[in-house]
Amino acid sequence: MPKITIDGNELEVAEGRTILQALDDAGLLMNGIDIPHYCWHPKLPVDGSCRLCQVEVEGIPKLQIACDTPVRDGMVVHTQNERVKQAREGVMELLLVNHPLDCPICDQAGECKLQDYTYDYGVQASRSKEPRRALKKNVDLGPTIVFDQERCILCRRCVRFCREIPKTGELAIFNRGDHSVIETFPGTPLDNPYSMNVADICPVGALTTKDFRFKIRVWFLEDVPGICTGCSNGCNIHLGVANNKVYRYVPRRNDAVNDTWICDAGRMSYRRIGAPDRLRECAVRDESGRLEPVGLDRAIEVAASRLRRLVDSKGPGVIAGLASAHATNEDLFTFRRFLAALGSETHGVAVVRGEADDLLIKEEKAPNAVGARELGFGDARTVVDRIGSGGVDAVIALGNDALQEGLLGSEEPLANLDTVIVLDTHASELQRVAHVIVPVRHAAEKLGTFVNAARRVQRVVPAVESVWETYSDGEVIAKLGAALGLEGFDGSYDARQVARDLAAANPAFAGIDLDSVGDAGRPLADSAASKAER
Amino acid sequence: MVISDETRSKIDEAISKYPVKRGALLPAVHLVQADHGHVSKECAVELAEIFEILPIQVMEVVTFYNMFFDSPQAKHHVYVCTNLPCSLRGSRSLLSQLESHLGVTAPGETADGRIFLGHEECLGACGYAPMMRVDDEYHEDLDVEKAKRILDSLGK
Amino acid sequence: MLESPYVTQYLTEHFAEADYPTLKGYERFGGYAAARKALTEMTPDEVIEVVKTAGLQGRGGAGFPAGMKWSFMPKEDDRPKYLVCNADESEPGSFKDRILLERGAHQMLEGILIAAWATGACATFIYIRGEYAFPAAQVERAVAEAYAKGYLGDNVMGTGFRHDVRVTRGAGAYICGEETGLLESLEGKKGQPRKKPPFPAQYGAFGMPTTVNNVETFSHVPHIIAKGANWFRSFGTEKSPGTTIFGVSGHVVRPGLYELPLGTPLSEIVFEHAGGVPGGRKVKGVIPGGMSMPILPAGQLDVPMANEFLREQKTMLGTGGVMVMDETTCMVRAASVISYFFRDESCGQCTQCREGTGWMNKIIERIERGAGEEADIEVLGDVAGKMEAKTICAFADAAAWPIQGLLRHFRDDFVEHVRQRKCPFPGSFEL
Ligand SMILES: Cc1cc2nc3c(=O)[nH]c(=O)nc-3n(C[C@H](O)[C@H](O)[C@H](O)COP(=O)(O)O)c2cc1C
Ligand code: SF4
Ligand code: SF4
Ligand code: SF4
Ligand code: FES
Ligand code: FES
Repeated sequence: MPKITIDGNELEVAEGRTILQALDDAGLLMNGIDIPHYCWHPKLPVDGSCRLCQVEVEGIPKLQIACDTPVRDGMVVHTQNERVKQAREGVMELLLVNHPLDCPICDQAGECKLQDYTYDYGVQASRSKEPRRALKKNVDLGPTIVFDQERCILCRRCVRFCREIPKTGELAIFNRGDHSVIETFPGTPLDNPYSMNVADICPVGALTTKDFRFKIRVWFLEDVPGICTGCSNGCNIHLGVANNKVYRYVPRRNDAVNDTWICDAGRMSYRRIGAPDRLRECAVRDESGRLEPVGLDRAIEVAASRLRRLVDSKGPGVIAGLASAHATNEDLFTFRRFLAALGSETHGVAVVRGEADDLLIKEEKAPNAVGARELGFGDARTVVDRIGSGGVDAVIALGNDALQEGLLGSEEPLANLDTVIVLDTHASELQRVAHVIVPVRHAAEKLGTFVNAARRVQRVVPAVESVWETYSDGEVIAKLGAALGLEGFDGSYDARQVARDLAAANPAFAGIDLDSVGDAGRPLADSAASKAER
Repeated sequence: MVISDETRSKIDEAISKYPVKRGALLPAVHLVQADHGHVSKECAVELAEIFEILPIQVMEVVTFYNMFFDSPQAKHHVYVCTNLPCSLRGSRSLLSQLESHLGVTAPGETADGRIFLGHEECLGACGYAPMMRVDDEYHEDLDVEKAKRILDSLGK
Repeated sequence: MLESPYVTQYLTEHFAEADYPTLKGYERFGGYAAARKALTEMTPDEVIEVVKTAGLQGRGGAGFPAGMKWSFMPKEDDRPKYLVCNADESEPGSFKDRILLERGAHQMLEGILIAAWATGACATFIYIRGEYAFPAAQVERAVAEAYAKGYLGDNVMGTGFRHDVRVTRGAGAYICGEETGLLESLEGKKGQPRKKPPFPAQYGAFGMPTTVNNVETFSHVPHIIAKGANWFRSFGTEKSPGTTIFGVSGHVVRPGLYELPLGTPLSEIVFEHAGGVPGGRKVKGVIPGGMSMPILPAGQLDVPMANEFLREQKTMLGTGGVMVMDETTCMVRAASVISYFFRDESCGQCTQCREGTGWMNKIIERIERGAGEEADIEVLGDVAGKMEAKTICAFADAAAWPIQGLLRHFRDDFVEHVRQRKCPFPGSFEL
């Protein structure tokens, strides 16, 4: 492995990497060793046009761009000497010649690389007295993105993104020289399933999402690491939180999962967290058939008494469990333990399916389908079939995925059951036939893990707290188990402890707990279930 | 279909001369412009189909080059070279006199759409300045009267 | 009218002959004998060796030794290899390639054939600037004649050597003269220069090993092969052998083309050959090698026109486009025209070039209007400095150098504009 020296620090790097890549690999880029850069992006082809990343390489007379200079053994690089600084300042000043510097009204302020670098490396303003380019403001590029031509520094990241990642190529630079502008083909909007990533990679406030525009200044946001629940890819995200509210999802880099991208549908799914149709109260159905709001204890009591009556009269075999692939492994492990202690063998997981592509978007539209199967939940169809054949009197449903996926046709088959217990985040037709309803937490509100389609265990942590009372599915199930007097249930639920129990019980999870899994996740070991799946 | 069959077969012939299809894009744009005067959105879409690229890739090429146009053009293009060697030999006053002769401000076209008058960078005729390019033809060692006569002879 | 050079040597000797542009005419003067000699009597390495020994330097502006460039073409490589003939001639002040295309297309083709043999290239792409419609037609016609006669195609001159020639027309972009901008354009893209490495010899036209040479560079080759390296070296200087075609323009009595040995003093070209400045006026400055090259003031015109001497005066031979400006000329106006050109022609990729060319042009135009301040002159020099040696291609340097040259030698013109708040040269050309 070649060794290079950067600013006096020796670094061992992989063969065939550029200086910037080598620093990025080592986690040092802009984190110990600062080489400001605009056009380079770790997940896009090298462009080499902004010329900001120039460094001095001993033995080469001209400054070299770090983004396109391959490392060689023994290379000595200077990133902070006077010559480099001057070159950098030169580029910064030139970039400011035509920049409107309307930071006070720019939505990018706070995460603008032009603002940051000007502050860190440059002149405060250009000495230019000439009129700036007057170009188009507020250009509607399509359903998701607004464009400000004047702010664009022509780094071509967005162009390369559209060509290389979704391969839709909606954007291009028209004209040349200082007349260059980003454009779309007339009548062809920027409209691909990943379009909003261009706003993340745009170093300035030229491309912004319609969704986030003017909502809140970014410096008020706290970035909480999390996982998108839109599909089983489990893209890593940051939830932008302020005042106990999630304002946006942005991609969080994880080269093993989603590089630096997320899809638009996943990004917009943050809206589900505070959606008006969130379930807000526990309810039980009274004699007259109406749903009556109650406290959790009452709901558990009603659920337990209904189930106990059925167990006593017909045995546990008539009770079925419908798991959700939106629940965490900790929830599902608790549920599985509950069903076993009860003696029910009818259970499965329903997963909503949809379109997939070969980039990120997966067919299974839930974050934890693999985890659910790993924990022994089979296809929900077996449950549905048993309901159809009259062998089921009670259903405990986590979520309404079976309904959404159309496995049940409608909620009608459940209408005749003795008992329907629903734990859900959002309202659905299931409420019409439910006898007990408990509102549960969204992934943004709880601690736990999911297993993504590539068998990676990934963690969610509470980013916000719902203002109404909600509970983890596992917590509700644990209380129900205690109310039923089931063995091994004392009514308490602690996700950390459950994760340790899971690791002890299931070899695939061995060694993984809620701390060791980290923000980047860890691969799940192979198991009987995974082999069966393949 | 806006690109004629005849032009399409010429484009195919051009394509056959390059190791990679796209090599014939510039020749194809020249051919399309010869028919239509400019590359319309529709032409760009059809060219993109022929070359198996995106319409926007045709348009970025069209907007990059001075000789390609994305909007309708006058019948004749007249460019007076105003680069340094020509300027030193009076090309700028030639241009302004042609402007008044035609009643246009360069770059601009006559009201009847007969002539577009503009200036251009060095055309490789510096020793024979001042000069102008009229469509594909060079006119060199000009004086104002000679240039006016040439413009007047341009048909509608 | 494009006229045959006033002074001719081997390159342009027969350009006045009406039939010289035709194959028959060309052969009447011994044409294609050199190619036949190379293909039948010489190995590729021998050809390269002769061209190396002759010391032929590229005539496209950079002056790189041609034989050395040919030797960079990979030998053990199964990929098809290409030549590119750079006929994009767009450097202001240059009009020599045009006559070589119009009158000497066969001479150039013969040079191409010899180079193809030397480098193992199977095809040549001749890229001609879009505005050169007539020169392109002349080349097309010559190519057709050469095919018909079996000098191009599957079996060149019956030797079994295969070579194809394609003619591509540009579409109006100076940057397509830069060799990698040209390659992009040839591939049907925007003519935006490529990052180097990889160099064209490894990754050139359509991704294949490619050598790019200028029209004139190819045109010298048949003469070198026919008459030998020593003969070639009898022209020009020790370090810069051969002749070149100087294009003289601006304030001279006889503007036009002059084929003269490299090393001919600039003063001889301007005063003897081109007849000096008309009306008894004095020379103020001369740009010696196309607009990218820094100007020389009247006192430095004795310099021999070869890079080894011009470099000492902080300028270069470039394309040999000699632009003469007399004492009435306002150098701020000249700077304004020059900076406008580079602003218009920058491909726009690199920050320094895109923004710097625009900024320089705006400052200069303001000074010219009489709205400048002395501090602007400092900023101007500074911007030019920021552009130099830091971009993808040499265009940004080419844009900075002439402005630096004007500031170096004619700073007073700038200062006077600022002080008088108007142009102090009433007799200068109009803007
Ligand atoms: C901005 C720029 C413009 C150029 N224009 C031309 C041109 O019009 N014709 C040309 O032959 N070379 C031009 N060159 C030089 C080419 O890049 C290249 O060096 C040359 O074609 C090589 O041929 P030669 O070695 O035979 O000179 C230009 C270079 C630059 C940087
Ligand atoms: S819009 Fe943004 S990402 Fe795209 S080129 Fe401009 S600055 Fe770069
Ligand atoms: S691909 Fe799936 S996990 Fe990733 S952002 Fe989209 S919906 Fe979310
Ligand atoms: S230096 Fe100028 S012309 Fe050359 S690649 Fe950069 S922007 Fe384009
Ligand atoms: S980051 Fe290296 S040139 Fe832009
Ligand atoms: S400057 Fe006008 S043709 Fe060269």
